[in-house]
Formats: sequence, C-alpha cells, structure tokens
Amino acid sequence: MSRLKLQQICKYYDATTALASGDLLLESGEIHVLIGANGSGKSTLCKVVAGSVRPDGGLFELNGKPVTLFGPKAARDMGICLFYQELSLANSLSVAQNINLYHLPTHAGGLVDEAELARRAEHYIDKFRKVVGENFSADTPVTKLRPDQKQLVEIMKTLASEAEILIFDEPTSALDRSQVDCFFSILRELKEEGRSIIFISHRMDEIFDIADRITVIRDGTTVSSRPINETDQATIIRDMIGEQHETAAQISVSPHDQMANAEICLKAEALGGTQLRNVGFSLARGEILGLGGLHGQGQSTLLRTLFGAKRLTTGTLELNGRLVHPASPRAAIKLGFSYVSGDRVRDGVITGRSIMENVSPIHFLKDRKFLAFPSVLSRVIEPALASLNTKYTSLGASISSLSGGNQQKVVIARWLTNPPDILLLDDPTKGIDLSAKSELFALVRKLADEGMAIILYSSEDSELLAHSDRILVFNNGSVSRELVGEDKTRFNLYQAAYSGAK
Amino acid sequence: MTIMQPTNPQDSRSSIIVYFKNPLLVAFILIVLLLIAGETLSPGFASMEQILRLLIVAALLGIVAAGQNLVILGGREGIDLSVGGVVSLSAVLAGNVMDGNNANIIAAILVCLAAGGLVGLINGVGVTIFGIPPLVMTLGMLGVLQGLLVVIRQGIPSGLAAPALANFVSKPFLLNLPGILWLWIAVGLLMAFLLMRTSLGYKIYAIGSNENAAYMAGVPVKRVRVMLFALSSMFAALAGICILGYAGTSFANVGDSYMLSSIIAVVLGGTPLSGGKGGYTGTMAGAFLLILMQSILTTLSIGESGRQVVFGITLLFLLLFYGRSKALRG
Amino acid sequence: MTEAHALKTRMATLFRRFPFLPALGMLLLLFVLNGIAEPNSMTVRALKGVASTYLALVFLSVGQTFVVYTGDIDLSVGAILSLVNVSIVVIMSQLGGEPYVVLLALLVGILIGALCGLVNGFVVSGLRMQAIVATFATSILLSGIALWVLPVAGLPAPSLFWKVYGGRSYGIPNVFFFAVVLIAILAVLAKTSMVTKLLAVGNGQLSAYQSGLSVTRIRIYGYVICGVFAALAAFCITGDTASGDPLVGGAMTLSSVAAVVLGGTALSGGIGSAFGSAIGAIIIGLISSLVFYAGIPSEWQNLAQGATILVVLMLGVLASRRINQ
Repeated sequence: MSRLKLQQICKYYDATTALASGDLLLESGEIHVLIGANGSGKSTLCKVVAGSVRPDGGLFELNGKPVTLFGPKAARDMGICLFYQELSLANSLSVAQNINLYHLPTHAGGLVDEAELARRAEHYIDKFRKVVGENFSADTPVTKLRPDQKQLVEIMKTLASEAEILIFDEPTSALDRSQVDCFFSILRELKEEGRSIIFISHRMDEIFDIADRITVIRDGTTVSSRPINETDQATIIRDMIGEQHETAAQISVSPHDQMANAEICLKAEALGGTQLRNVGFSLARGEILGLGGLHGQGQSTLLRTLFGAKRLTTGTLELNGRLVHPASPRAAIKLGFSYVSGDRVRDGVITGRSIMENVSPIHFLKDRKFLAFPSVLSRVIEPALASLNTKYTSLGASISSLSGGNQQKVVIARWLTNPPDILLLDDPTKGIDLSAKSELFALVRKLADEGMAIILYSSEDSELLAHSDRILVFNNGSVSRELVGEDKTRFNLYQAAYSGAK
Repeated sequence: MTIMQPTNPQDSRSSIIVYFKNPLLVAFILIVLLLIAGETLSPGFASMEQILRLLIVAALLGIVAAGQNLVILGGREGIDLSVGGVVSLSAVLAGNVMDGNNANIIAAILVCLAAGGLVGLINGVGVTIFGIPPLVMTLGMLGVLQGLLVVIRQGIPSGLAAPALANFVSKPFLLNLPGILWLWIAVGLLMAFLLMRTSLGYKIYAIGSNENAAYMAGVPVKRVRVMLFALSSMFAALAGICILGYAGTSFANVGDSYMLSSIIAVVLGGTPLSGGKGGYTGTMAGAFLLILMQSILTTLSIGESGRQVVFGITLLFLLLFYGRSKALRG
Repeated sequence: MTEAHALKTRMATLFRRFPFLPALGMLLLLFVLNGIAEPNSMTVRALKGVASTYLALVFLSVGQTFVVYTGDIDLSVGAILSLVNVSIVVIMSQLGGEPYVVLLALLVGILIGALCGLVNGFVVSGLRMQAIVATFATSILLSGIALWVLPVAGLPAPSLFWKVYGGRSYGIPNVFFFAVVLIAILAVLAKTSMVTKLLAVGNGQLSAYQSGLSVTRIRIYGYVICGVFAALAAFCITGDTASGDPLVGGAMTLSSVAAVVLGGTALSGGIGSAFGSAIGAIIIGLISSLVFYAGIPSEWQNLAQGATILVVLMLGVLASRRINQ
C-alpha cells in the first residue's frame, strides 16, 4: 500500500487548466522526483497535496484511506508539509520564529518559551551550520537574509514540521553546490528514517543524484513514472516534450553570422551596477544577441538596466552614435527600447483589464495620443495582434480570460503598434506552450530581418542556441565568454557557464 | 475525497449569479425596490418633487465621490480622507469671497478650485514622492484643513451664498431640473469620457490594476497619481461651492459627513478599494442609493438610534455583494 | 570603517527590536519643548492633567495596533468606546454606585468590547469584507446602539468611579498607576505567541495560511483584543468626564490610527509595537499642549497642531521605512 496515492487530480482557473489529470504514487522511504516544463502543473499538484489549493476533482488517498483536506493546517496535522517555491516566510520575523511558526513553543498562558524556541531553531540551523554563510543567526529577521539563506530557512521550516511526507518544490534554485550537498545528505537521512519525499528541480544532475523514482508531468497530465535505474536523461526529456518536435533540434547557422559590417546601433562599455560588472558589447541592426549562462548571473539585470528599470552606476551606453542614459522605462521607450519580461504577471499583464487596454499604452506614449476611441484604436491594435496569431474573442475581453501563451502575445503586441529599434527579451517564453513559443521566435526572426536589433535571454539553452546569432555567456554579473559561429555549441555554452573560464 | 466530476468552469456559475455580481445592476434594483418601499411606507415618497430633492442631495455627495472614485481607481491603497475637509474649506472660502454677491461667483469658483488643487497636489506629492500611505497622508491633511478652517472662520465673518448660486442649486434651471443636477450629469459625462475615451483613463486603470506593468509600459505612474489626488480635491472643492449654494450660508464642518460616505458610495457603486476596476456610473448609483436609504430611514418612526442601527446593518448586508477579497485557498 | 559598520548594524538591530525608538525620541523632545515653553507644564499636576485626558486615546491606540498588526484597520473603535461608556454609566446609575456594581459594570463593559470586536472580526475576516468600509458600517451600527442605550449625553457616573480615576494613592495620581499597569500588560502581551502570529499574518496572509496558521481566526482575535482595549479606553474616558455620552468616541477613531502610525507600526501590517502606539497617543497630546503653551494665538492653534501632526506623521513613516530597509 502506498503512503500517498493521487489519481486524476484536476484544477481549473477560469479558462486555464492548471492540472488536467495528476497521478502520483508515493511510497515510504522514497525520494520521488517530479519533473516537467514550467507551467506543467507540478506546483499545483504539490499545493493540492499540501492543502493550499482545492482540487476540482480526483482521488486523494493517504495510507489507503480517502481523505479530504480543508487547508494547509489539516495537511500538517496529517503529516504533510510543503516547501513553497515562492517561499512562505514572514519577512519581519526572525529565523527562529519562522522555523517554529506552526508550533510556537509556549509557557502556560500563551507566552512564547524563548529558550525552547531558540533550542528548536538551533537544532535545524545546526544541520546547515557549515553552509549558511555570514550574518545568519537564529534571531536575524528574514528580510535581512540573502536569497539562498531565505531558501535555507524555508527548508529548515519544512524540516521542522517533522512530517512523514515532505514536499520540496524547487528548493535548490538559489543554493550553491555545497548547500545542495548538505541538503541532499539530510534528505538521504530522512529517507533512511522511512519518510517520503517529493522533490522538484530543473537540474538534471541533481535529479539523478538523489531520485529513487521520477514522475514526469506534461501539460497538467502525468505521462510517466519510472524507477531511476530504468530511465535516463534522454527518456525523461522525451517524456517532458512529448511527441512534438524538439525545439532544440538544430543549431541555426544563419547568414546572420556574418555581422561584421552590419550597422551597429547599440554600444555598451563597462556597464556596472548591482549584479552587473564591467559588461561591454555592441549590437547591430538585424542581429539577435543571446545572453546565456546559469540562471540569475546578471542577464536579466542587464536587460532591465538597458530599459531604465534598474540603475546604471558606471559605464557608457551609445545608441546610434549618441550617448544615452535611460533613467526610467518611459525614457527608454522614447529612445526606442522595448522590453518583454518572462514574469508577465509582475511586469507585463495589466491584470483584469481588456485586451485593448493591454495593447495600447505604447501607442499612447509614442504617438502622444490623448483620445482613445475604440474604433480608431482597433485599427492600430488588430494588426499587431494578428502578426502574432493571437487568439481572442474580442478586444474588449479581459486579458485574464486568455491562456498564458496568448497573454504573452498580447503583451508583445503592445510593442508592435509602434515598432521599437531595440527589442529586449527577458526569458519571454517562460511558462508558455510550445506552439506559442515557435510562433514567437518566428516573429522575432522576422523582426530582426526587418532591421530590429534584438537581445534575447532565455533560461532554456536550446532556445538560445537555436535562435541567437551570437551568445554572451554571463557569469557572476560579467560576460565570461562570447560564442560566435563555430564556437556556438552547447558544449561551449555549458563550459563557459559552469566554469567561467575564458 | 472520492472521484468528483471535474466541473467545467463555464457551467460552474449560472448566469443569474453572474448578473447579481454586477454591482451596477444590484444598485439599480435596490434603488427601485427602495422607492417602492418608501412609497408604501409614506405615500408621496416617490413623487417627482421628492425624488428631485433626493437627487440634489445625492448630486452633492456624487460630485465628492467622483474625486474619491478616481483616487481609489488608481490603486495602491488609494483613498482620500481629506475630501470632507476640502468640502468645508471650499464652502467657507466661497462664502467669504462671494459674500452674497453674484458678481463674485467666478472669483469664488476660481479661488476654491485653486485651493482644492493645491491641497490635492500636496497630498499627491506626499504619497508619491515621500511614499506616505494615502490613508496617513490624507488623514494628516484633514487635521491641517480643520485647523485652517478655524483660522479662516475666526478672521472673517462667514459669508453668504450669492443668490444666483443658491438658485442654481435648488431652483429649476433647465427642463425643470435644477442646475446642480445638470452639473452632476456633466460630471458624469466628463468622468465617463475621461475614464473610457482618453489615454489618461486607460492609464488610471493600468496603474490601479498592475502598477509595475504600467510602469514598464511607460506610464508616468507618479504624475498620474498626483493628478488623481489633485482632481479629487478639486471635485470636493466644487461640491463645497454647491453645498454653500444649497445651505445659503456656510457653517462649521459642513463637509465632515462626506469623508466616509463618499468612500461608501464608491464601493457600493462597484469600485473595490483595491482599485483598477469599476467606474463612475456605478458610483452615481451608489451615491443615490445611499441618500435614498438614509431618507427612507427618516420616514420610519424608529428614532435616531433605530435609524442608525438599521442603516449600519443594511450597509453591511450590501457590502456582502461588493468587492469581497478572494479566499486564501486557491 | 568596519567599526562604523558594526555600530550601524548594532543600531539597526536595536531599532528593529524596539521599533518605537524614533517615537520615544520625539516624545522626549516634546517634553523638553513643553518644559521650555512653560516650566509649569512639567509639574506633577500638569502631567496628571495630560495623562487623565489622553489615557483613553492611549488605550484606544494600543487596541488599534493589534488590528493593524495583521494589516487590517478598525474604524469602529470610537463607536465601541462610546457604546461601552454609555453602557457602564447606565448600568451603574440603574443599580447604584456601590463598589460591586462598579465591578460588574466594568466586567460587562469588557464583554461588550470583546463582542463588538468579534462582530468586526466576523465581517472583515469571516465574510472577507474590506476592513475600512465594513468597520465603518459597524461603527454606524454600534453608534446607533449607543444612542439607544443613552439618547442624550450627560448622565453622571457614580462618584466612586471618577474619584478613583482622578484620585491619588500614596501621593501619586492613580492615572500613573494605570499607565504602569498598561505598560506591564503590553510587556506581557508582546511576548505572547498570539502577537507573533498576528505579525506573521500581517507579513502576508497567503504565506501565513500556507504555513498552517488559521489566518481567519487570528484576524478575528486581533479585532477582539482591539475591542477589549477600546472598552478599557472607555473606562478611562468615563473616569475623566464622569459621565456618559453616546458620541464621545467619534472623533477619537482617526486619532488612534494616527497614533499607531506615529508609534512606528506599518499600516500594511507585519511590523510595529503596541508600546509605540501608546507613545504616539501621548505625542498627539503633547503637541496640543505645546501649541497651547507656545503662545500661539488661539485661532491658529488648531492649524499649528494639525500641521505639526502631519509633519510628524510623515517623519514617522519615513523613519520607520529607513529602519526596516
């Protein structure tokens, strides 16, 4: 009998299906890896198990008995605890308070037992003592911690539940190697104790290091579940991608490789700022410049800095031979920059408003329009949406009624009403479906052919290799290597990303 | 949990419930019901004259609520507690400047709008440049305005409304409707035009819905927000002038009651305090609904205490329909 | 360099542990200014006057804090205060002013306060209404009940009540003892797990919920605690005015919010201290007495007071933001 059995769990949000048919069998003393592309439904499935998302249907059995959860508290009481990818920490409270939040030790009368609070916190901090880094103690407020330290606190908080079923949703994304090793040795101990662990990560080497069994989810449906010794990396990737063609298939060797005498439109020298060290490059019209490297090495920061959303402290930026210093997105837009963020919920979508309102802002700004008559606006907006094959019922429909891919198309269409000179793409395909991705890249190539200069950052290396003419590999805020022509291979990209060597 | 039929999201909400979630419709239905109830309780309640009288009072509230509406639409906990103070200040200023003389009306209007605009500008700068939460900033401003009122009132004897202004507010002006109602209609049209047919309106909704996305799309977030606070105070100043005309003379703290009732009118009209959605048509209905409720209560012989109790409970009941926050469980 | 850095870190830690320190500094400054403007304002008698008048606002602001901890707000605290004020005065005048009746009245008053808080908590947290408008609606409802209990102001409280509040023990005014008791209560309350949970909810309702806390219930507790403190505030005001008045609390609601902000508590929730709110309330009191003693012409006093409070509020918000960054 399995400890946890999920069958055909589903969850809908308005028009979007977050989870179509989630299946999972979790045994005692097992580390069970869940893998799938962004937006495939892993996190939703985990939240259903932890009680924080109410499923719309399906079977949920714990130790052979069907159960209904009424919330995270009920799940905790049944011995289930989840590490939340977006973290569930109270920032103004101390590390110790956060670790103990669910069961605050108290004296009679409800007074917090500070000694016991500290003792319990130290117990879990001790497990990571060697890797927590500087300025970390039990009474440090969480808001003062670095991202990796926050992630460790969320891990400690999850461990402190001492639950029989522990779920870790991308717990290692901000951790370095030694922190991951320390965490993995703890996971192995827990496994020996007979606990059941669900683990989510995108790092293949980690997965093969720790997993006993790997379950793959694609588009909200569980597609395979195999013991570790009966599978390999290729099989898993095939399961994740499905029957559709693999986007990473060919590495483009396009005529764009000969950029030597193309017209340079953007020249950056010695750019510096937070997370950015001495970055220099030049960008030509019609070129797609890729930014590569491990996640969070300054690629996104560079794009946001160019767009005026982050401060540039040192260095010079030359646009068409003129020195510029975009101090805000508004100023950058006027100069001819545009920016598409992969985090569309934060940076892109004007939540709950109509498609028309979502497409129009750049048009207003660049054409200095004050009046907004729908009939006039639609003449500008409809062609922009059509060039991306956006599917929508009417311009007045709420953007929230669209799927993720179509929402992103609407956000991109915003820039096409008044085409910019430079397009900055910051991991633009995060969480959108494959067909939308290929349409998007077809458009990007077309825009480049029409003379637009494009900088592309993608967290998926295959996308980067396939669609960029040249790749700058980032490491710790600076460019560690430039890959052009023959050098633009996956091997070189990995080598530069991981080692940082020239 | 046993296997449930996956619910199709399209079917999950029947159309009737969707209709009842439209606050504008709810407000109109309630207005009709209340008029019928009023007529039953005291014949003559729903007569044309009586409704006109209520509409005048509602117009005064509605004009204040127009500004409040804008600030709330702009999001980020936008709220303007200083409107009541501006209304009082403007009524006193207008009375002092016009001093019962028709010739001074234009000057009075200019002075009041300028004063209102200045107050709003300070509010807006405090909120955007210094980053003071709107509630705190406008609450502090309310204290300043109350103090300013004392200064102005003690220096100069309180002035009278010019006769033309008084006539404009309460006497038939055009098509047998008093001027204030035409003014309200004009404000309504202006607001609808501003919000739905200008880029400024689009920007207001954009910063109210997702401020960061609006910023990344080049919307001058701070400038728009300052403008909203300035407009709010100017609408309140306009209402203050009308209230002077309505009452004939300015009296102490005439604007106090507008502070929270303007917020309630906005919320009853379907604009949630979180901003980014809603509009002024609903607020107009909300303002009339509020005045209608209070008026019906005065026809009941249940005393002041009973009236307040019934009013409070009714408000709570109505608020159940409007802008409740989402459940934490997804 | 490193020493300066260490000092800065230590200061930051200090401010974080005691978020009311800027308010305390402001309070001391106001004391000094008051003393300079009018040396007599520092006598025990004058201080007793300030304390008797403002102790009610102190309690009310402290109560408001527990709601603001979670990021909510209670615009009905003034109405709760009024309702408790008239209720206890009516009970005492109906049953006579004997000590046991007074005690009974106090007990009933606290129950009423807690019940009002429960109602607020239910509509805001249970029914998920917007706190500002919902508690405004309940304030209308509660004011109505207060008017029903006592339609006109002026019913006197029994002599025992105001004699204790205005009297002295061992030569020291009793209000000072009440203030000390309040500080003791706050010191204990600050150590309870409930306050940690309230703050956790204020840091983010979703995170707190995901951590397994009963967010709905915790927010209701916040309102109940607030209601109880509003009842205590009502006792103070009854002692100070020696009578019942169904409208007495109306003007105090917004002052309580201002005091909370002055005390370094963020309206967005998650950070702050009830002790700071108490200081904030006294700051409001001292500003008005300073304006009075500074010889400002009477018609300008309100403006001076309003402007000073606005400036102090802005400074307070900016200071606490600096500390928490």
